[in-house]
Amino acid sequence: MGTQKNDILQGTLVLLILKTLQSNGRLHGYAITAHIHRVSADLLRVEEGSLYPALHRMEQQGWLRSEWGITEKNREARFYILTAKGRRELAQEEASWAKLTDGVGRVLRFV
Amino acid sequence: MTWLRRLWNAVRPRRLERDIERELQFHVAERADELRAEGVSADEAVRHARRQLGNFVVQRERLRDVNVSAWVEGLLRNVRLAIRTLLRTPAFSIGVIVTLALGIGANGAVFSAIDAILLRPLPFHDADRLVRLFEIRTASGNTNIAPVRLDDWNRLNSTFEAISGYFTDDVVDTTSDLPQRIRRAVVTPSFFDVLRIAPAHGRRFTQGEHQFGAAPVILLSERLWRSRGADPAAPGSTIRSAGLVVTIVGVMPMFPFADPDVDVWAPMPVNAPFAQSRAGGWFTAIGRLEPGVTLEQAREDLKSVQARLAAQYPDTDRDVAVRIEPLKETVVGGARRSLWLVFGAVSVLLLIACTNIAALLLSRATEREREVSVRFALGASRIAVCGQLLAEAGVLALAGAALGLPVAVAAARAIESLAPDLPRLDEVTIGARSLLYTTAAAGIVALLCGVAPAVRGARRGKNLSRSGSAHIVPRHSLQWLLVGVQVALSVTLAAAAALLLRTSDALSRVEPGFDASRVLTFHVTGRFGEDGGEYGRVVQRINGSLDALVDVPGVSAAATTTMLPGVPAGQQQEFRLLEGRADSEPRLVAESRVVSPSYFATMGIPLLSGELCARPGDAQGVTEVMVNRSFADRYFPGRSVVGLHLAANTPDRITGIVGDARELGPDREPIPTVYSCFSAPNPVPWFLVRTTGDPLAAAAAIRVRLKQLEPFRPVYDIAPLERRIADAYAQGYMRTVLLTLFAVTALALVSAGVYGTLSYAVSLRRREVALHLALGALRHAVVQRLIGDALRVVGVGCACGLLLALLFARSLSAMLYGVSPSDPATLTGVIALVVVIAATAALIPAARAAFVQPMRVLRED
Repeated sequence: MGTQKNDILQGTLVLLILKTLQSNGRLHGYAITAHIHRVSADLLRVEEGSLYPALHRMEQQGWLRSEWGITEKNREARFYILTAKGRRELAQEEASWAKLTDGVGRVLRFV
Repeated sequence: MTWLRRLWNAVRPRRLERDIERELQFHVAERADELRAEGVSADEAVRHARRQLGNFVVQRERLRDVNVSAWVEGLLRNVRLAIRTLLRTPAFSIGVIVTLALGIGANGAVFSAIDAILLRPLPFHDADRLVRLFEIRTASGNTNIAPVRLDDWNRLNSTFEAISGYFTDDVVDTTSDLPQRIRRAVVTPSFFDVLRIAPAHGRRFTQGEHQFGAAPVILLSERLWRSRGADPAAPGSTIRSAGLVVTIVGVMPMFPFADPDVDVWAPMPVNAPFAQSRAGGWFTAIGRLEPGVTLEQAREDLKSVQARLAAQYPDTDRDVAVRIEPLKETVVGGARRSLWLVFGAVSVLLLIACTNIAALLLSRATEREREVSVRFALGASRIAVCGQLLAEAGVLALAGAALGLPVAVAAARAIESLAPDLPRLDEVTIGARSLLYTTAAAGIVALLCGVAPAVRGARRGKNLSRSGSAHIVPRHSLQWLLVGVQVALSVTLAAAAALLLRTSDALSRVEPGFDASRVLTFHVTGRFGEDGGEYGRVVQRINGSLDALVDVPGVSAAATTTMLPGVPAGQQQEFRLLEGRADSEPRLVAESRVVSPSYFATMGIPLLSGELCARPGDAQGVTEVMVNRSFADRYFPGRSVVGLHLAANTPDRITGIVGDARELGPDREPIPTVYSCFSAPNPVPWFLVRTTGDPLAAAAAIRVRLKQLEPFRPVYDIAPLERRIADAYAQGYMRTVLLTLFAVTALALVSAGVYGTLSYAVSLRRREVALHLALGALRHAVVQRLIGDALRVVGVGCACGLLLALLFARSLSAMLYGVSPSDPATLTGVIALVVVIAATAALIPAARAAFVQPMRVLRED
């Protein structure tokens, strides 16, 4: 089980979802958590309770669109796809994330 | 469009809920699979997977909230609840909805009329730049303009794009065997430019066609064109009129014109010899201002133009002034007061209805205190409870407005038939703007009806939920305040209606000085220049007709006149006394009417002294005049006027004095009047024929006789004189009928309000009253006290209503006759009526309360 430290920082969930969808194309909610978990080498764990509200909110913002489809296991699932607007949002969020980490890094390095 | 989806999700939540469930179930299934793969048992895996999503139910709700517009959902819930609640008391709901439908519908209809007639611009391009121009001469009442002067104004002004003139007359179309009268408007070259209209088919007049002696051409009106089969080949074809072949060059589309009966348009020959005099005018002038020019600038401009003309032509132009009014004002100005009055009255009525309904809702809210307090106890916010109570008013108002639309359509038609003389009536439609207005009215109504009950209900319910007792006697002063408002408003409305009723009563009692009953009026076609242009022939024809008419069976007298008696249209002018008159004496300004000598006998106007004027010879104009008693009394007190000579154009001898007649309408006092004796002041005078029986019954015989005499002259515009006078006063009739109707409705609402409120108050005080009775109070004393309670409120309402009535009296005074706007008898009568109605309405609940079995009531609960 994930501990407090592994939980995703508030506000970065959106960035991670956008990035995940950009690199994978069409994914359902469970696959998104699995991807983040795997790619971050188990360092990050999506809090499942906030995943779906975030996805739905992002869909309403127009960053994602969703469609129903069938998984390999022959289950019905809702798949999310990045929209053009979502791509622009991702670019922006990546830039501001870079600035944030850069800034935080400089502060930490300052002796 | 996400808000749209959220809105849709609020209205149809089923699908959304299913999707959320499916998505979450899928997630749980996947997670459980993974856990099972790690060796967890199947049951444990599912439980664990669900737990990881947090509380599964809460998760579902959270997702739902993300996808649903919360306030829409709340609104829908309130509306559904309100409809269910209202359906439980159908009689109450239907009563309220019908009241509101009538109120909102009538209001919407009057608004539509005001919108179409007063608010909307005339249907011309940039219509606010259109003005009418009048020529004002101190010496005569003629406001028409001489063609050459119009031309000068056009040339010399700097504020108009163009000024155009026109006049209308009748011509006879003799193309087929049956001669047909057609109404013609003769227009100057810029006419269609000024109005910015173009022919629907064919072409306009060329400059050449506006020259004297050009081949005659006309444009058909669309109405005439359609009535003749809408022949697409009409442009280019010809008709025959006055011995000429006239070419049709096109068809004019429908547009509102001062004379709606115009059938054809013809070009005015600008250089015609008969149009070169500066003395007489016959053009009605319409001008288009340059963009950005104000009315004031235009007035100043033409004033200086006319000053230059006065210097150039002192004989004819010295006494001429120019008046300029917005075209719209000249069209609709006369209807403004009536329409706003009716709109005010109908709005007051709606306000009374709202107040009434608010009081009813208040009573309901009290009855539902327990329900509301339970909602509070379960944690509802005050806003939520208010919203629910307000939703009821909203549902009622919307239903009322929806039902009000057909009412509005019917009411608009009723207004149309009540006052056919209103301008622009054909433009009144219940359209998008009316719909918008009605919706807005419904919103305002909902607030007026709903806010007080909602706030009060929520507050009281909250108190109740704290104290837990249902035995607090609630105050009901707010209900009585609303009753007071209703009384005050209906006193105001009833006072206005009563004053208008007194006015029409006074008008019906007026001795007009002439007898309008059994008089038939009509025109016979004719025009200047008929029969080769010698005017003596016109005089001969008209005199011949008058002589022949007297011999028709059922006809006792016949006359001609320029203006109908009793219809408000007159012409005042100044006369000169040939015998000389001192400058210190008042100037001889008098109403000038031209009538045949037989006019006085026909209209029953008595000859007081002197003798009747003689008919001038066919080749002569006016030679003799008659004056009325007011003229003799005001200008020649104690002196004889018979034998003196008055001069307007030619010196005319005064031969006699006739009685005063209210020529300008029953509501206008007779003014000094000079009757010039001449049967044919123009080729188309009004014929007045006194009949022994029903005037319309004699019409056929009159037609036959005139046809024998003049086979090619159609008789038209046939109507009894009484109807013409009534038509001229149709707006007054409409005001009176509508306000009386509104006042009666208002009084009915007030009696319902007093009844309802007292019933409610009594129901709250049942135990108190029963206790009094049990302790020996007299029943009639209880009745008296309860009625007294109601009448105190009514009394205060009456006092406020009286104040309001006096406040608005001044705006009413111009519509009254024979009664002052603060007439004590009328106002006292109105108040007495309201008090009696209120007392009667209060009697039933008061008596019902006093005749209970006290012990049974006290044992209740």
